[in-house]
Amino acid sequence: MKRKKLMIAVGTMILTLGIVQSCTKLDKKVYSVVPTADFYQTPDQIAAGVAPAYVALQPIPDGNVMQMNEITSDEIVVPTRGNDWYDGGQWQSLWLHKYKPDVFVDGGWSDLNNGIGKINFTLNILNSLTNKPANIANVVAELKVLRAYFIFEFMDMFGNVPLVTDYNVDPSKVTQSTRAQVYAFLDTELSTNIPLLTNTVDKTTYGRVTQYFGYMLQAKLYMNAQVYTGTAQWAKAITALNQVISSGKYALQPNYFDNFSVSNDGSTENIFVVPADKVHITATNSWEMQTLHYSNNLTYGLTGQPWNGFCSTADVYNKYDASDVRRTQFLIGQQYAADGVTPLTDPQANLPVIFTPIVSTISDPSGAFRMAGVRNIKYHPEAGTAGGQSNDMVIFRLADAYLMLAEASMHTGDNATALAMVNKVRERAGVADWTMADLTMPSLLDERSRELMWEGWRRNDLIRFEVATGTHYFSGPRTPAKTDDGDQHAFIFPIPAPELLTNPNLHQNPGY
Amino acid sequence: MHFKTLLKVSCFILLCLFTMPAMAQNTVTGKVTDSKDGSPIPGVSILVKGTSNGTVTDVNGNFKLSAPSSGALVVTYIGYDRKEVPIGSSPMNISLNANATQLNEVAVVSIGYGTTRKKDLTGAVENITSKSFNQGAIINPIDQLAGKVAGLVITQPGGDPNQTASIRLRGQSSLSGGQSPLFVVDGVVLDDPRQFQDIPADDIASYDVLKDASAAAIYGARGINGVIIVTTKKGAAGKTTINYDGLAGEQTQSKYYDLLTPSEYRTTIQQLYPTALTTVDKGGNTDWQKAITRTAYSQRHTVSLSGGTNTSNFIASANYSNQQGIVLNTGKEQLGLRFSGEAKAIDDKLDIHAGLQNVSTTSKLVDYSIFSYMYNSPPTYPIRNADGSFYSYSDFNLANPVEHIDDDYARQYDYLTLINGSADYSITNALKIGVLGVLTRDNTQTHVFLPSLEGSVNQAGDAQGNVNSYKGNIHITYDKTFGKSTLNVFAGYEYNDYLTNNFVAKGQQYITPQELDNNLGAGNSLFNQIGSYADEYNLISYIGRVSYNYDNRLYLTGTMRNDGSSKVGVNDQRQWFPSLSAAYRFKKDLLANVDWIDDMKIRAGYGVTGDEDAINPYTTLGLIGVVGQYYDASTGYYPSAYSTIQNENPNLKWETKQGRNVGLDFSLFNSRVTGEINYFNDKTTNLLYSYGVPTPPFFTNTILANVGSMTNKGIEVALNVQIVNKSKFRWNISGQLSTVDTKITSLNGTIFYAGKTYQLNSSQIPVGYAQGRGLSSNPITFLKPGYSPYVFYLPHYTGTDAQGNQTFDGQTITQNPTPAGHYIDPAPKFNYGFTNNLDYGNWSLNFAFRGVYGQKIFNNTLLDVETVTRLPGNNVTKEALTNGIKDAPVASDLWLEGASFLRLDNATLSYSFKNVSFANTLRVFVSGNNLFVITKYRGLDPEVKTENAAGGNILFGQNLNGSNNSAYIDANYGGQAYYPRVRAFSIGVNVSLK
Repeated sequence: MKRKKLMIAVGTMILTLGIVQSCTKLDKKVYSVVPTADFYQTPDQIAAGVAPAYVALQPIPDGNVMQMNEITSDEIVVPTRGNDWYDGGQWQSLWLHKYKPDVFVDGGWSDLNNGIGKINFTLNILNSLTNKPANIANVVAELKVLRAYFIFEFMDMFGNVPLVTDYNVDPSKVTQSTRAQVYAFLDTELSTNIPLLTNTVDKTTYGRVTQYFGYMLQAKLYMNAQVYTGTAQWAKAITALNQVISSGKYALQPNYFDNFSVSNDGSTENIFVVPADKVHITATNSWEMQTLHYSNNLTYGLTGQPWNGFCSTADVYNKYDASDVRRTQFLIGQQYAADGVTPLTDPQANLPVIFTPIVSTISDPSGAFRMAGVRNIKYHPEAGTAGGQSNDMVIFRLADAYLMLAEASMHTGDNATALAMVNKVRERAGVADWTMADLTMPSLLDERSRELMWEGWRRNDLIRFEVATGTHYFSGPRTPAKTDDGDQHAFIFPIPAPELLTNPNLHQNPGY
Repeated sequence: MHFKTLLKVSCFILLCLFTMPAMAQNTVTGKVTDSKDGSPIPGVSILVKGTSNGTVTDVNGNFKLSAPSSGALVVTYIGYDRKEVPIGSSPMNISLNANATQLNEVAVVSIGYGTTRKKDLTGAVENITSKSFNQGAIINPIDQLAGKVAGLVITQPGGDPNQTASIRLRGQSSLSGGQSPLFVVDGVVLDDPRQFQDIPADDIASYDVLKDASAAAIYGARGINGVIIVTTKKGAAGKTTINYDGLAGEQTQSKYYDLLTPSEYRTTIQQLYPTALTTVDKGGNTDWQKAITRTAYSQRHTVSLSGGTNTSNFIASANYSNQQGIVLNTGKEQLGLRFSGEAKAIDDKLDIHAGLQNVSTTSKLVDYSIFSYMYNSPPTYPIRNADGSFYSYSDFNLANPVEHIDDDYARQYDYLTLINGSADYSITNALKIGVLGVLTRDNTQTHVFLPSLEGSVNQAGDAQGNVNSYKGNIHITYDKTFGKSTLNVFAGYEYNDYLTNNFVAKGQQYITPQELDNNLGAGNSLFNQIGSYADEYNLISYIGRVSYNYDNRLYLTGTMRNDGSSKVGVNDQRQWFPSLSAAYRFKKDLLANVDWIDDMKIRAGYGVTGDEDAINPYTTLGLIGVVGQYYDASTGYYPSAYSTIQNENPNLKWETKQGRNVGLDFSLFNSRVTGEINYFNDKTTNLLYSYGVPTPPFFTNTILANVGSMTNKGIEVALNVQIVNKSKFRWNISGQLSTVDTKITSLNGTIFYAGKTYQLNSSQIPVGYAQGRGLSSNPITFLKPGYSPYVFYLPHYTGTDAQGNQTFDGQTITQNPTPAGHYIDPAPKFNYGFTNNLDYGNWSLNFAFRGVYGQKIFNNTLLDVETVTRLPGNNVTKEALTNGIKDAPVASDLWLEGASFLRLDNATLSYSFKNVSFANTLRVFVSGNNLFVITKYRGLDPEVKTENAAGGNILFGQNLNGSNNSAYIDANYGGQAYYPRVRAFSIGVNVSLK
């Protein structure tokens, strides 16, 4: 009897202990997200883990970075139209070169660093894999060259930037590098890694980093060497450009607009694009929304009303000859519904939608001002979308290589090559060839504008030409309302206020 | 019937026993009722004055005894004034007046994991019983408490029956987590404070509000915002009674903006834009504010059955409510069933309780974008064409709101089930051991179909979400009196497991829209989207409390709770939350000779509470997740790209509040004046916030970290005065006033990250934005050390120049596109409320005022609507034509308006029938809610939402309403909208059948 009681007691104790243990353990069961340590186990996971580098590119060609590079230039102005587009002064401040550390500029900083950070992380993981894939060297090179693009833009825009290339860096030890230091890093990084990249150019490498992406980036770096280091590197730029041009992998697309159409993936001219898709990749291309008038949804079958924002002035529009096919990227005059007959009206202003190139002021509450500025449909609107178009967005294309080669050749005294290159581009545009007399630095800069209108390079171009020639292309006055900057502090953007806060080691750029 | 007979027989026997020795005397019969509502009072002691001859009333309040024909009866019952009544002719009707102080002597207050007598409290705890509740039309049961408790601020975000109220106790203690106090219903902690609005209002018997940290510390890591303990109605020993509470009412919009009428609009356009008139004048004469609303009707019915014996009791109730929204095609319908039963066994040593609550709620949700359409639509547009079809139109943020209300389909079904059971066993008289188990199931289903209007594609979607929990505890209590000392000890172990999952599917471009969301796969398959999510966490705690009381004079309470949570960082998952409080009733010692002071008690308490609401189950982990789709050139497909989505923080822990409170309770002039005063001084440290960090080297640009601190200091005064206390007429005023001064003291600190120390700095964090056309990226409220949360930073408006361009500190926008701001604190100086109760005979009138002094609200609505730049395409306010401003709207202090107010929250007139043959009590009432507001604020209402509201359309992002970020910012009809507040009138009946 006693023994039975004892057994019951012991049994109860064991049971109790068992229960107590399971009842005191704090269990963190994870269901629909994956702890970092459990990922990168299969080839599919590794492929999906490399992809974020490309996902980080998606907001670059039509987001903050593009806006900071275009609205600070003469090509795009975003005037305040009545109630619309004041937005705390951010659009005006870009155009007027009155940017402040606490307005807008952090967007570009964040977008670029998102790419750098994602790649640093992925490189760290790849290096620590126990079973490395066979093509690890190529994958690493691809990521490093793509990172070089982000770092290039970052340095180009913000000047003295923190150069963080190792994921394991102590966050409190991050300091700024000079432009020359970043230049040197990129120079080495590209020369080392370009040879490891694929030189295949076909469907399988569409939207991926190839050797030619590397050379185009290298060319951009050398073209601007004088801006970054004080020493020009035109010859090096020519070498890099010739790698692209003489590869024979690219040819000018006979129709200029085929490079930007809704289905532009067949372009033989585009060297690197950021793929977009109205279903799967909607973050990339909202061109149609930014520029078109509210009522233009009726013209293009859009499912939502555009925002009536970005436009260009007469100074830009009048750069084109009437016969220049590239001029038709701008909408001007009366706009019509899809039937081509019904004129569009602005219901709020009760005026016909007639785009004019005259933008005489930066802010105007009048109804007519809602139609001011010509609108750009280089990337043709896509019916059935309201932003999130499918047109893949171009970063590098052959025409840019031709024009850069022309520019570098002029600097090295090879005007014959320069003229040949420019005329290739002009012939495709349906305008008369230049003679040697037409070939001047100002006219080449205009040609770049006509060809590469709104493609995100204008700020970079204006500054390079200003540094090389001394003319105030970037810092000078322009209509509407912009006066001369007085100095060159606006060449680089201020370090954004939130970044100064999160990293006390950073110092503000001069002039802010 | 059998039960009733038994009762009659026993009563008869009892009567016989009492009456035998006094056969010669008269038999007196009568009934004792509550003077206020006429309800019978059972158990009242009736004594013939100067004798030991007496009796007690039965369950119906009736008594019968033999007494001399002259003389008096002494009628006493605890909680009521003693009364002497001359013996008169039978039946005698005796009504007793309730006595607040006497009630306090016995009133039992829930303090979490137990109860205590109200007079024995050592912490700041306020007890509100159903007699003091606000009445009439209430959206959330918590409205019953609005304005009643010092320090408790309840704000209805508007008139949407599907929105949750904002509830704040003693200000704000967290920047990231929810601000609502913890809700505990009959000992069960609700998983989400929002679930409380599913508890039928008529089921609630009382609220106990644990205000200070020493009282709330028993709930440890969840107690930072205070605790509201809700006790539902219970059955009582005696005859089974049937109660019915019914209410029917109507609601109308309480205020409108002063927009141009159709004729004013025509005149204005004629003057300013003569050529535009033909275009904007579509022949309509529409008041769009009224076009989208209606007089809404609501009803609420509760039937309950309750009863019991000496060893068991039960209550079962059914509740139905149907509340139309004043906006067309919106509303909320609710059906609730509740059972609660208790039984004793084994010589009353075992006490078993079981409770079940099931509430089904059907919500017809509003698409918040209609409010912006309403304000933008010209009054010269008709609602419908001559043929009855809708007149459709579209422009930027402009469409026919009535058409959208009519055609959009958005329903939400919520099924909440709470099951709880407990068993307590008395080992000795002093020592008890018990277990409690609770099961919660909360299932929410959302169904949406948005038709193709104005050229958009149609969209449909379903969502399903579950929040389930398993909770239980084992507890031991020891209650013993040694001479003049009383000791109460509680010890417990608690286990909570929470599981959440959801599933969503949506599609678009359906060619058979009549199927609504019932055939989701039938649309354009390219656009089909699915998603799902699940998480789990647990909270395991040890709880202890010791209360000591010497001679009902000196009190000492200490609590200790150790919480462990799987949510917090793995490096330290447990924390202690202690408290200590003491009280001294010094009447007997120091004020024994002061006649006008009945009782006086001084209290002091210190406690530590925590908050983990801002931490999601996996916040502390480094996680890999989908960061978008990419184009896979080799296949032409768009697979998901995976990357880090979160910085890990294994050191993340609770926000911790150290609270101090001193208080004074008093009862004066024979309990005619009672009240309490509290002063508190709280400091929250380890404040959780998603702080900005540089990427790289961090993965993502924010990290949730314990950095920063804030303080809350305030005074609360509550007073109850019995001005007139005659048997026929009684007048009682109770009022409260509270201040709270909240300041962020720091947003800086260090964290350990990847083995290194890293300094986080935030000099100011933008949180709230002005919104509207041309007003993107316009932060106006900030978190900034040295200021209260959401301090405004706005340019100072200094008038207009000759052209009508606004100037800010003297400069126009063209002169300075980004004018500098000035800091302006919008926080109220104090909150107050006061209630009058007047009883005259069978009549009773009470009205409750509530107000806020010194608060400021940014009138974003007028910023958007009061500008001539909207003409001719959009309507404007009349003021827009005269304010002289001609340029684009700029967020400035011009729109930051004083929003002090005084509101008549509720007025109720009731009549209690007495001596009704079929009923113990029968009361009818008329009630009005939000009868008037006195304020200078020009918006629809000076109380704007300050918290994320449930409802809205979670599927397609139209849930535009509110977030913490919008504190002190009114609706903007671009991003965030406001469902207009209502004025309500209702009639009701409370009956308890015999």
